[in-house]
Amino acid sequence: MRHLLVIDGVPDPSRPRPVAVVTGASRGLGLTLARLLAGAGYELVLTARGGAELERAAGELAGDGPVHTVVGDVTDPQHRATVARTVGSRLDLLVHNASALGPSPLPALADVAPGDLRAVLETNVVAPLELTQALLPALRRARGLLVAVSSDAAHGGYPGWGVYGSSKAALELLTLTLAAESEEIAAVIVDPGDMRTLMHQQAFPGEDIGNRPLPEATLPFWAWLLGQRREDVDGRRFEAQAKAWTLAPTRDTA
Amino acid sequence: MSVSPAAGSEPILTGDGPAPATLPPEQRGSARHDVRLLVSGAHGHRHARFLDLPAVLTQGDLLVVNDSATIPASLPANGPLGRFRLNLSTCYAERLWLAEPRRSHAEPGPLPIVAGSVCLVGTARPVRVRFVAPHPGLPRLWFVASERSLTPTVAADGEPIHYAYLQHPQPLTAYQSLFARLPGSAEMPSAARPFTEAVLVALRERGVEVATVTLHAGVSSLELEPAEPSGVVLYGEPFEVSARAAAQVNATRQAGGRVIAVGTTVVRALETAWASGGVHAMRGFTRRYVHPADVRGAVDGLLTGFHEPASTHLALLTAVAGGDLVREAYREALDRRYLWHEFGDSHLLLPGRPRRAA
Repeated sequence: MRHLLVIDGVPDPSRPRPVAVVTGASRGLGLTLARLLAGAGYELVLTARGGAELERAAGELAGDGPVHTVVGDVTDPQHRATVARTVGSRLDLLVHNASALGPSPLPALADVAPGDLRAVLETNVVAPLELTQALLPALRRARGLLVAVSSDAAHGGYPGWGVYGSSKAALELLTLTLAAESEEIAAVIVDPGDMRTLMHQQAFPGEDIGNRPLPEATLPFWAWLLGQRREDVDGRRFEAQAKAWTLAPTRDTA
Repeated sequence: MSVSPAAGSEPILTGDGPAPATLPPEQRGSARHDVRLLVSGAHGHRHARFLDLPAVLTQGDLLVVNDSATIPASLPANGPLGRFRLNLSTCYAERLWLAEPRRSHAEPGPLPIVAGSVCLVGTARPVRVRFVAPHPGLPRLWFVASERSLTPTVAADGEPIHYAYLQHPQPLTAYQSLFARLPGSAEMPSAARPFTEAVLVALRERGVEVATVTLHAGVSSLELEPAEPSGVVLYGEPFEVSARAAAQVNATRQAGGRVIAVGTTVVRALETAWASGGVHAMRGFTRRYVHPADVRGAVDGLLTGFHEPASTHLALLTAVAGGDLVREAYREALDRRYLWHEFGDSHLLLPGRPRRAA
């Protein structure tokens, strides 16, 4: 019945500093979440493909906990093994944020090359599952929370979004299944909504996406999620920019 | 004064400003239930006392109250920027709050805070608190993370949040309604303040039921109000509608009674819990902005106070009661010198509009 967020200013062996992994943390949503977690006292393991960008992002985080960076591609087994080694024995929060959009501009399915679909599925489906497997012992030990960053494209059937959307639909089902299969961990799906990010720009090349909110718009949701008991959110899907985030009531019956 | 962004082109308030209640009625020589009650409805506007409320309502009506209790949320703080007050707004997690830093109760600042900076909160056993990030769209509000729980600091050093119009600070008891049960509001859900045991007894005799929901109100300093109505950003507030409360609301509607929210917090909770023709039991955080373009019709009336003609507040009133009725009522309240703010007079809006199809 504990809160997920544990901020320790003084060493306390009974409440070690919580550890979080955020993939794709060098910019956009991943960096926004890393800022919140660092400020809230987490020890962070951040990953991204671009080394310089990741180091710069990690360097600007303000918090008391250590920040580890692991440069590499989530589809690379050696990279995932390094992440698992860096995490060590306990993991409180695993955020699968790194994603591939596929070709830009977004092609109709009739024009998708088989290799493009395969590459997106590797990054958005296969890699998160294999990283989860590598981190599952640590996640179980801490009774941690797994977060899969998804998209409304997972349900939409929007023209052009077939590759990316089908990968997110698969990721969502993996997440729901993990939630059902493991008593020790909780797993949630988060649809962050449209944001002014590099990926969103790639989906709409040449278009002005300045009217989309910055990834910071999702901060209140992440702050709320960190305060929820994991058994209350297990197996749920949330929209980070929704007007309400709701759960079953705690109190009396009718 | 001339403000009214929410209700159309015609201003809701013009001329002299409202008269604020600078003290609670108990310190003005009367009881809580002796404040005035303006009843605005299809019949026009009637001037009554709050004690007359049961007589204004009819058998089968349901009053929905908020059982959130006020916490002494204003904490003394000290940091690189000197001494200031950290007004806690909303608890997100044990050691993660949304808060409004102010120079003092009366002076809003803003303080030039940068993300990552640290301050000490409380006096006897100060707690290290880090400013993590500002709330999107509401740069006065900051997510703050504390090295340990702030609950003991609130108990030891907290004062009720108050603003410049009060004659002198009031004790926490002045900020609790009869229904206050679950601590969590940074500012009093003040609409229920005039209720007394005498009013409850008379309501029971009248056949008016009372249902209870929870919504922990965050800070409502005027500096948070947007300059433009289109710029409205609402922060989330924790709420819960129990299965029992949902059943009472739905049964009242089915029996043809009126569901009357006591306070804008209750409107927000019920509107959030509304789906497919009824209210559903749920809890969570709501950021729902209830305004004329986005109202589901979960309530038939609203018992509230008179507040600053802030756009978000008036937008909610207008959503419930319609722009014309709210405009007339505020003119009436100004003419008759009704008292404003949390210790002031009461206002019952019963628009009597046709119920929406379920």
